[in-house]
Amino acid sequence: MTDALAQAAADSDAKAVAAIREREGMSYLQTVRYRVAVVYLPLGLFLFILLFPFYWMTLATFKSNRELHMYKGWSAMLIHEPTLDNIKKLLFDTDYPSWIWNTMVITVSATVLSIFCAVCAAYAIERLRYRGARYVGMAIFLAYLVPPSILFIPLYTMLSTLELLDSPLSLIFTYPTFLIPFCTWLFMGYFRSIPYELEECALIDGASRVQILLKVVLPLAVPGLISAAIFAFTLSWNEYLYALVFLNSSEAKTAPVGVVTELIEADVYHWGSLMAGALLGSLPVAILYSFFVEHYVSSLTGAVKE
Amino acid sequence: MGPDAMAVSAAAVRGGARPGGFLSRLNHSRNMLGLIFMLPAAIFLGGFLAYPLGLGLWLSMTSAKVGDPGKFIGLANFIWLTEDNVFWLSVFNTFLYTVVASVCKFALGLWLAMVLNNHFPFKALIRAIVLMPFIVPTVLSAIAFWWLYDSQDSIISWVLLGLGLIDHHIDFLGDPWNARWAVIIANIWRGIPFVAITLLAGLQTISPSLYEAATIDGASGWQRFRFITLPLLTPIIAVVMTFSVLFTFTDFQLIWVMTKGGPVNSTHLMATLSFQRAIVGGSLGEGAALSVAMIPFLLSAILFSYFGLQRRRWQQGSRDD
Amino acid sequence: MTDFSRRDAIKIAAGTALAGGAAFKALLDSAEAFAQESQWKPEKGAKLRVLRWSPFVKAEGENFTALVAAFDKVNGTQTRIDALGYEDVRLKAQVAANSGVGPDFVWNIHADNHLYPEKLMDVTDVADWIGKRGGGWYPIAELYGKRRGRWNSIPATIGGNLLNYRISHIKKAGFEKVPADMAGFLKLMQGLKANGTPGGFAMGKASGDGNAWCLWLLWAFNGKVVDAKDNVALDSPETVAALEYAKQLAQTFVPGTASWLDPSNNKAFLDGQVSLTNNGISIYAAAKAQNMPQIFDDMDHAFYPIGPVGRPTEFHSNYPYYAYRYTKSPQACKALMAYLMDTEQYNKFLAGSVGYLSHVLKAYDNHPVWKEDPKRLPFKDVAARTLPFSWAGSLGFSSAQVFADFVVVDMFAEVGTGSKTPKQAAADAQKRAQRYYNT
Repeated sequence: MTDALAQAAADSDAKAVAAIREREGMSYLQTVRYRVAVVYLPLGLFLFILLFPFYWMTLATFKSNRELHMYKGWSAMLIHEPTLDNIKKLLFDTDYPSWIWNTMVITVSATVLSIFCAVCAAYAIERLRYRGARYVGMAIFLAYLVPPSILFIPLYTMLSTLELLDSPLSLIFTYPTFLIPFCTWLFMGYFRSIPYELEECALIDGASRVQILLKVVLPLAVPGLISAAIFAFTLSWNEYLYALVFLNSSEAKTAPVGVVTELIEADVYHWGSLMAGALLGSLPVAILYSFFVEHYVSSLTGAVKE
Repeated sequence: MGPDAMAVSAAAVRGGARPGGFLSRLNHSRNMLGLIFMLPAAIFLGGFLAYPLGLGLWLSMTSAKVGDPGKFIGLANFIWLTEDNVFWLSVFNTFLYTVVASVCKFALGLWLAMVLNNHFPFKALIRAIVLMPFIVPTVLSAIAFWWLYDSQDSIISWVLLGLGLIDHHIDFLGDPWNARWAVIIANIWRGIPFVAITLLAGLQTISPSLYEAATIDGASGWQRFRFITLPLLTPIIAVVMTFSVLFTFTDFQLIWVMTKGGPVNSTHLMATLSFQRAIVGGSLGEGAALSVAMIPFLLSAILFSYFGLQRRRWQQGSRDD
Repeated sequence: MTDFSRRDAIKIAAGTALAGGAAFKALLDSAEAFAQESQWKPEKGAKLRVLRWSPFVKAEGENFTALVAAFDKVNGTQTRIDALGYEDVRLKAQVAANSGVGPDFVWNIHADNHLYPEKLMDVTDVADWIGKRGGGWYPIAELYGKRRGRWNSIPATIGGNLLNYRISHIKKAGFEKVPADMAGFLKLMQGLKANGTPGGFAMGKASGDGNAWCLWLLWAFNGKVVDAKDNVALDSPETVAALEYAKQLAQTFVPGTASWLDPSNNKAFLDGQVSLTNNGISIYAAAKAQNMPQIFDDMDHAFYPIGPVGRPTEFHSNYPYYAYRYTKSPQACKALMAYLMDTEQYNKFLAGSVGYLSHVLKAYDNHPVWKEDPKRLPFKDVAARTLPFSWAGSLGFSSAQVFADFVVVDMFAEVGTGSKTPKQAAADAQKRAQRYYNT
């Protein structure tokens, strides 16, 4: 990566733009058959496989229970008796809106907190290089060594002593334990690739370390920030076990726990509402991501050139 | 610490006498500053991780059960496990699951990243859509897969039957090997997007001029991939794959929803077996031992990545060592 | 635990309003009557947290909430009910036992009161009182509720798991009823298979349905995990005989039962793809709720056949109430238990449960719930017919683990799927069971 970044940094803006234009120019030269084989066919295949389960979930969302249980009479791939009952049940018979709100609050807080901690830690490890930094950098990964299935019992006791059970804080404080290490590692990579001269110049100009971090280093690591945020956000959004154990009240639950615990009644699954819960909860996030993803992917080259 | 770092520290020590006082000295002392910057992360990792982790290690050496703290029994839990066929089966399953799923996620993820790196209409939208499997809460996508794999009305079986490719329903989760492949495929499905999007970010950092130069020199497509793309992507591959391996190795939700470790334990991973024994069965000590038994494998994965892949590449440009 | 928030207050108010009007007035009256008479006086202003499994049937859940609301109103207590899936209730109740914080009162499943007995409140006085009021406990209730002669839980109800079958399909196979003998039952299953309308039992990790049929079959041939002295006795000719039978039986199953979890057979039955399976009354109730007359008109319930051992060997699940010792309101917990089990309230509970849950007190044999719908009738007798899952040994940690680890279900599945011979499977299961009994 360093080589690539150095290479990119060496290029002037104009040259980079020219390069991109050239690449686009080249793509027009590629034969149609080549592009179908290399781009569209695999893309279509990937999209089909990645999205088919969603199609299936959408079907379940809008099918009536009766239709779900009648395979032979109907063609299963289409909806014959579309209904909004499942969505209605989800939105009005359960606390789904408040689950989504809780999940948002918890996820955003845990993400912000983790990124803050990780930025500080990565900066210290990678740029300050205090004594023992390398070992600390490695030790952070010990976080992944013991899975949550064992950690949650002692954590539960701790959280109850701190009187945090059933509060969103119980999750906001515990999620960073599995988010910080990944984010730190990601930032370490980005920070390492930033030329030291930039920082040294700023130091000589009398900037403090905090100023350097905020004004010099972080802007250069924007793609890293986005990438870490996407990762942290998604992981917290998905978390199940801690949320199940630490929260009790129905309105306090997160979306995955709420949907699973309240739409499965012993051996009866409310398929339609379960799938509606999965889809409704994912769509806003997907739309949110559509803004960031492009930024995340495309800003990487530009970021280093300032 | 490199010599220049020493020099800066020395300057910081001398700097105490200079105007600017404590703050300026703090600003120049790498160790002090380092400590302060590390503090937020240290609080969370120390408080909410190190302590419970220590407790987990301790539990693994006790006979603790639900409602009974138990007593210290040394390595008895581990010896116990070595005599347990189900444990060894879970070790085998975990390795199979991790290796196959990680390799596939990497290969398919890289392929998808390279496809997405091209120009096509609705690029931004499609890149976001590709992330969908990663966004849906795992428990819920696992339920959806469980249904897709249903032994009586799996849509996959129906379609294949309709096309006349098979003559009876596929027993996706009922046959040990079918079940293993089925859960691995679900895991791959969930994992591809993150690998792909992150590798895509890596791909974008590679200057097109390198490819042009190589093309002019007459390099084939494969050679360009092998000698430009792959080496330049190695650091980001290292990060993504280490995490992919770690998360696959400790996967729990997917299996728990779809098979609970069945049929006849053929999809039990170490993490699910640990949960089964510790929480469902109530032998906290034995369950903890099962978790601790995962540590050496995870540790070696981390060390391999850290020393083998990541460090070599990323350190090349830095001037510290 | 956090205090009651405003939202909770709203929720309780809403619950009260829901049950409002004359019906709620009647609940209040009987709660009042109970409070006058009761020897357990709830602590003033006691705040209780109740953890229970999510209701299998809506009416039962609403009824429970309304009963508790009336109890609160009369006694000035505040009770908060959290409902979760029963697997999750077990998990949370264990965490609470381990850490000494959590709900005060739990409505759990099986015999978890035997896993951490020293964490639980002694409720012998309550159990004796309830027993007297209810015409005496069924023996199974005493077995589940007592440990070393003292009651540490109130076995509130038994959830039945019986044969569910399609009437027209067994008729087509030449049977009017499900045969009560093993040979006849196998013939029926073979007939169903031959007609292309097979039956099937769960061989996956189905803690309810899987254990229910496997334990029935094991016991029917007089096989058992342990003898009366808790010595593992699984590797026996009786077990092998049961497994031989299971091998033939499994050949008649619809393909795919090796992966079935608890919900799978419900789905397959409602989809019309399996004609006979074992389950609670939930398939029937779901067919009614989803207005599927082609299923509910054409189905009925039956007892499991009786094996060479000559008496019923069924397994139905216990659902006990218990309270933790750490609770700050022990009297309120006891009062709530006694109140819920008292005549008026228990009558309402049985009526609301529509056959999902059966009585454990002899006075309720003639309850109207068993007369309203003849298809519920078999579930009336489940408390009398069930054995404890630990049979023939004692309830406790080892039996709970063997049960939780699917030792018996796996043994049957190994034979059913043909991956092991009956002898091999019995020998291996013996080893697995010994691991738990020898510690």
